[in-house]
Amino acid sequence: MHAARPSPRKTLLALSLAFIASAASAQTATETELARKLDQLAAELAAVKAQLAQIQKERAAQPAAAPAVAAAPAAPAATSSAAPSQPATVLTSYGEINYNRPTRASENAQADVRRFVLGYQHRFDAKTKVVTELEVEHAVSSADDPGEVEVEQAYVEHQFTPTWAARAGLFLIPAGLLNENHEPTSFYGVERNFVETAIIPSTWREGGVQIVGAFDNGLTVQGGITTSFDLTKWDATSTEGRESPLGSIHQEMALAKARDLAVFGAVNWRGVPGLLLGGSLFTGNATHGQATTQSRVTLWDLHARWTPGRWDLSSVYSRGTISNTAALNATLVGNPTLIPKSFDGWYVQGAYKAWSHEDYALSPFVRWEQFNTARSFDDLGPGLTPEAARTERVVTVGANFQVTPQIVVKADYQRFRENKDLNRVNLGLGWSF
Amino acid sequence: MRLTLAASAFAVSAAAPAGAFAVDYLSIDQAAKLMFPDAETFDTRDVTLDASQLQQLDAQGVKARSAHWSVRVAKRGANTLGFVVFDEVIGKVELISYAVGIATDGSVKQIEILSYRESHGFEVRLPAWRRQFVGKGTGSAIKVGEDIANISGATLSCTHVTDGVRRIVAVVAAARRGGALA
Repeated sequence: MHAARPSPRKTLLALSLAFIASAASAQTATETELARKLDQLAAELAAVKAQLAQIQKERAAQPAAAPAVAAAPAAPAATSSAAPSQPATVLTSYGEINYNRPTRASENAQADVRRFVLGYQHRFDAKTKVVTELEVEHAVSSADDPGEVEVEQAYVEHQFTPTWAARAGLFLIPAGLLNENHEPTSFYGVERNFVETAIIPSTWREGGVQIVGAFDNGLTVQGGITTSFDLTKWDATSTEGRESPLGSIHQEMALAKARDLAVFGAVNWRGVPGLLLGGSLFTGNATHGQATTQSRVTLWDLHARWTPGRWDLSSVYSRGTISNTAALNATLVGNPTLIPKSFDGWYVQGAYKAWSHEDYALSPFVRWEQFNTARSFDDLGPGLTPEAARTERVVTVGANFQVTPQIVVKADYQRFRENKDLNRVNLGLGWSF
Repeated sequence: MRLTLAASAFAVSAAAPAGAFAVDYLSIDQAAKLMFPDAETFDTRDVTLDASQLQQLDAQGVKARSAHWSVRVAKRGANTLGFVVFDEVIGKVELISYAVGIATDGSVKQIEILSYRESHGFEVRLPAWRRQFVGKGTGSAIKVGEDIANISGATLSCTHVTDGVRRIVAVVAAARRGGALA
C-alpha cells in the first residue's frame, strides 16, 4: 500500500492559489499605502489651493503692475496705457550755480548761487490756472548781503477758446528768444547772453493784461497793456544804467508807478518745423507825471531760430530808444551815467549736438555778440553832450552737457574786445523742472 | 521730478481721454475716425507685453513705461486698416494728450494732439510739426534733433511727445509680432 501522492495538477493548483493569496495579500498592503499617500496629496493640494486663492485675492486688491522685469522701467499702470496722472498743483523750480574766473584778474573770481527759483502752478478748472515763480538771487538776502528775493511771475491764465487765452497779473514780456524761456536748460552758456541782459532786461516782467492767440498756421500773437519803466529812478551816479539802461529802471511791479502805462505786441511764426521767426515791440511813457517832461521808452526786437537736425542756430537784434532825454539829462550833467537816447545789440549763435547717449548730450556752441548800452545821446550842447559808448563785442565759446533734459552742466570762455579785463572762464550747473 | 501737492482724480478712460484739465481739441473717437475715415469699427484690444517683449523694447532703447496697453484696431469688414493708440505725456509741467495712428505696415499714419494744457509750447499741435512723423517706423530714429525738428520754446513738449510716439510705434510692433493684434 502506498500513501496517496498529490497529482502534479493539484500541486500546481495549490501553488497557484498560494501565490495568488500571497499576491492578493501584498496588493492589499500597497493599495492602503497608496490611498494614504493620495489622502496626503489631496490634503497638500487643498492647502496649496487655499494659499493660491489667498495670493490671488491679495493681488486683486493691489493695482495692476508691470511684470517684474529687471530691465523694464518701473511705472504706474493705473490706466490702460499707464499714462501719468495730472495733479491740480505742480511745484516747479529752476536754479543756477555759477563760477566766474576773470583770466586777467583771478582775484575777482566768484562762486554764486545765481538764482534759486521755486514756483507753483495750480489749476482751478479746465481753463483757468495761476502760475507763479519766486526767486532768490545770490543765495542770501538781508540788509548785509547782496541777495534779492523777487516775485518773478504771478499771473492767472484763462483759456477762452482753443485759439485765444488771456493772462493777467505779473508776467514775462515776450521779447527776444530768452525772456520767456530763461531756465538754464534752455540757453547755451553759463551766463545769459548780453543782448538779452543789457538791451532787453533779463527776466523782464510787467504787470497787466495780455491776450494770446495761437493759430494753426504756426502764428502766435500776443498783445497787452502793462506797467511801464520808471525814468524818475535813473541813478546818474551809478554805473547800473550803463550796464543795462532798462534793467536799471524796470519796476518789476514793486509798488510800481502806474500813471503811465505801456502797450506791447509780439508775433512769432513757427509754420515750418524747426524754424522760428518773430519780433516784438514795447512802448510806453515812463515819467509818470513826476518830471518836467514826458518821456517814452520803446524797445523792439527781431529774432530767429533754426534747428535743423543737430544744429541749433539763432540770432536776435534789439534796439531801444528813450525820448526827450535832453530835458531829463539837463539836471544830471556832471554825473557819470546820463540817460542814453538809444541803445542796441545783436548776436548770432551756433550750437551742435556733437554727442548723445540716452539722455546725455554734449553740445558745443559759439556766440558772437555786440552791444552798445549808450549808442547815442540827445544833444545837450557843446562840451555837455556825453560821447556815445564804445560798442562791446564778445565771443563766447563753450559747451552745454545735458545730464538729463532737466539738468545741465556748462563751461565756456568769454573774450571781450573792448574791456579785456572782463575776459573770463565760466562754469555752471543748472536745473529746471 | 515734480511734487504732487494735491493729486487729482484723473483716471483716463477711452471715452474721456482728456479728463479735467484741458483745452480739448479732439476726443479719441474723433481722432480715430479722422485717422481712419474708412474704418467701420474700432475694436479695443488690451495688450499685455510679456517679460521678453519688454526686454526687447528696452534693448531697442524704448522705455515701455508699462506692460499694459490699449490699442484700437481700425477695421473695415474683416480687413484691418491700422491701429490707434491714445497716450499722455508730460510736456513741461502739464499733460499732453495725443493719439497715434499706425498703418498696417507699422509706420506712423497720423498724429493728433487731443488736449494741450501748457502756457507755452502749444505749437506741437501744429500740422506742420506733426507731419514730420508720418511714415516713420521702428527703423526710424524718431528723435528730436535727429529726424524730428524741435520747436523753439517748446523743447520739452516736443521731446516728450516724440519719445511717446517712438514708444507707441515699438509697442504696436511688438504686440503684432506676438500675435496680440492679429
